[in-house]
Amino acid sequence: MNSINPPTFQIHYFASASSYTGKQTERLAAPLPLSLLFETLESMYPGIGEKVLSSCGVSLGDEYVDVVDDAGVVIGEGDEVAVIPPVSSG
Amino acid sequence: MSSTTPLNTHPHEQPQSDPLPPHLDPQTYPRTTTNPTLNTHIHLTYDPLDPTAALSKISSPNAGANVLFLGTTRNSFEDRPVATLSYTAYPLLALKTLSKIAADAVEKHGLLGVVIGHRLGDVPIGESSIVIAVSAGHRGAAWRAGEEVLELCKEKAEIWKREVFVDGEEEWRANKDRDAEGNLV
Repeated sequence: MNSINPPTFQIHYFASASSYTGKQTERLAAPLPLSLLFETLESMYPGIGEKVLSSCGVSLGDEYVDVVDDAGVVIGEGDEVAVIPPVSSG
Repeated sequence: MSSTTPLNTHPHEQPQSDPLPPHLDPQTYPRTTTNPTLNTHIHLTYDPLDPTAALSKISSPNAGANVLFLGTTRNSFEDRPVATLSYTAYPLLALKTLSKIAADAVEKHGLLGVVIGHRLGDVPIGESSIVIAVSAGHRGAAWRAGEEVLELCKEKAEIWKREVFVDGEEEWRANKDRDAEGNLV
């Protein structure tokens, strides 16, 4: 590989988000404003917003973030993001 | 190194180019977090849970009550026969969440120790998927804390259960849909 790797962040999908995307994880182009995350995913996986993301949380590193309230946050190169559907331990 | 099969693979999922992330690789487990000061022990594992080991971690000469809870995998959901159950975790968040639940319970109920263990991957029907053990000076606090810790785990821990039915269908479960009696909320 002699091409220059473009900057990316890692996004993990769980449960219904993993089923819908058909992936457990992937890399997306960074930087990406957090406020654009859901529309980015919607463009890649049409329908995911209403069917999956509307009931999901989002984490950046080991903290939850709010795609609306934390509008100023930018997902940077090398960051780890996760889509967190309703949980079902026990 | 032997190759590892993703536990999460659906029959209809596309092959993915990304390698299996470490948090889905059983070889990166068990993962544990311990707070020696509070005597709390969090444990995520692909191996069978050991209730005796959980009890021994919280045993104390100051304790008058030790409560052990085992959640076991049930063979049906709404009368539909379940063939297999499988759990996936996001340990980066789950260990943090479970540690806080344990620490908060120690503070609130004056506990002498807390163990929260969760099994991941396929769990055969009838085996334990979660173990909670708490110890306290007296039984009232231990009973209350045991139930509270379990309910908070089910509400908050970043762990997901997938049920595969005998008819081949499969569903991701969501705890928020059910109360402690299994009834729809």
